[in-house]
Amino acid sequence: MLGFLKQVGDYAKESLQAAKYIGQGLSVTFDHMSRRPITVQYPYEKLIPSERFRGRIHFEFDKCISCEVCVRVCPINLPVVDWDFDKTTKKKNLKHYSIDFGVCIFCGNCVEYCPTNCLSMTEEYELASYDRHELNYDNVALGRLPYKVTQDPMVTPLRELAYLPKGVMDPHDLPPNARRAGQMPQEILEAAQKAAPKETKTES
Amino acid sequence: MNQGIDLQGSFVNALVDLGISPGAASALWLPLPMVVILIGATVSIFVTVWLERKISAAAQQRIGPEFAGPLGTLQAAADGIKLIFKEDITPAKADPILFTLGPAIVVIPVFLSYLIVPFGQNLVITDLGVGIFLWIALSSIAPIGLLMSGYSSNNKYSLLGGLRAAAQSISYEIPMALAVLAVVLMSNSLSTIDIVNQQSGYGILGWNIWRQPAGFLIFWIAALAECERLPFDLPEAEEELVAGYQTEYTGMKFGLFYVGSYVNLVLSALIVSILYLGGWESPISVSWLASLIGVSETTPWLQVITASLGIMMTLFKAYALVFIAVLLRWTMPRIRIDQLLDFGWKFLLPVALVNLLLTAALKLAFPVAFGG
Repeated sequence: MLGFLKQVGDYAKESLQAAKYIGQGLSVTFDHMSRRPITVQYPYEKLIPSERFRGRIHFEFDKCISCEVCVRVCPINLPVVDWDFDKTTKKKNLKHYSIDFGVCIFCGNCVEYCPTNCLSMTEEYELASYDRHELNYDNVALGRLPYKVTQDPMVTPLRELAYLPKGVMDPHDLPPNARRAGQMPQEILEAAQKAAPKETKTES
Repeated sequence: MNQGIDLQGSFVNALVDLGISPGAASALWLPLPMVVILIGATVSIFVTVWLERKISAAAQQRIGPEFAGPLGTLQAAADGIKLIFKEDITPAKADPILFTLGPAIVVIPVFLSYLIVPFGQNLVITDLGVGIFLWIALSSIAPIGLLMSGYSSNNKYSLLGGLRAAAQSISYEIPMALAVLAVVLMSNSLSTIDIVNQQSGYGILGWNIWRQPAGFLIFWIAALAECERLPFDLPEAEEELVAGYQTEYTGMKFGLFYVGSYVNLVLSALIVSILYLGGWESPISVSWLASLIGVSETTPWLQVITASLGIMMTLFKAYALVFIAVLLRWTMPRIRIDQLLDFGWKFLLPVALVNLLLTAALKLAFPVAFGG
């Protein structure tokens, strides 16, 4: 008899606990309703990509020495380097270069390893097209520079979260010269350069 | 008893004075409340869709629809127009008759149930003696339509969704009916008007929610399950079943399911507010206030105020419940089918039975408070 009552009591306790948890969950969602939306109204407002953004790859035709390092470091050997050997100058002559961005994973290995820095990452990310073959960029398309978000008169550029002043969550209506939290890279560099001579003096 | 505003009587009398026979006058009156309620139910879809999208957005720190109409209020109209202009596809190996009948059978009972939803003493299409029972009976037609559309789509996801919908509706109808039975026990009547009248007179203190707290919770949970709202939306669980019985539907047939689900949500919220939250009664009794300042209950302007306040109160309570339903949607994860059936049969059903027995016992013990 008592065992049965204990069972009933435990069951009731569990149900009450479940109800409590549901209440807690409801209070969380209710609290979120009073928070400001973080929406970026995309075609009209765009986030400024960070300096290290890995977007569509830019290629400078004249710098390329057709060494094919980019092909070797690519996880799937994606860049197509079309060259022939010019016997008179004893140099490789680059004819075509292309990367298929429908297949590229934007890992950035090719940019990292290019000996002449002819590859670089841009901040372009709007690559949508009606046909996947349009994503196969040849050396002309790869040489184009993207339009910057900050220079587009149709777009309100918004700073990403890490580029906002300390404590600010909303990128809308910032004062134009609001400083981001922490030190800028060049400031860290300056501080390091100031500190460096002292260190060498103490060493010597 | 305050009879309140009597639109039908006034309308018929006015026509009889114009020289029309009383029978013809009554016949002329008949379609008017139906059309009003039909329009009201349709408008409620717009309101509910807008509320759902805006509240969902707020709970997720988004803005929600903004460009279709002021504050996105016409978003539902935009969705509806899109659905109307979409191609109406019937899958090649589907059963075309059942496939078309399914959505209609789901939607029609929901609209029919508005017959018994009162917005005031005389502001109801028909004060049926079986009132609330009619609603329970009509709501059990919907799973047949769901099963029909699930089966006729000739798609395994649809079939599973339809079966789940049927199982869910059947399991949750029983605790729901038992919860309603406890309320009916107290008011000695199935009529929705009588149920509200039994709660009237003491303002917020007289509402059934104080006498039936367990019944209120059981009924609300079961109503959410009947509407396939989120903690119980597994008939159309998109991660498992694509869209359940809706998978093969496009265009206006899909639109009917969509309309049906939202009207059903509003209807359930209305029924909850009638059964447990005092229907058109204000938190502070209007008739009591009137007697306090010495105005007769039959004063025309007071009757107009009472009637309009009653409509607003009913709608306010219903939409407060819709708000809770939307908030619950973003709070609770979907439960599994075995958990759903366990919850319905092993928890809600016994609790509802105990609640019914307790109500009966309390009614015998305290006939004053529990409607002897």
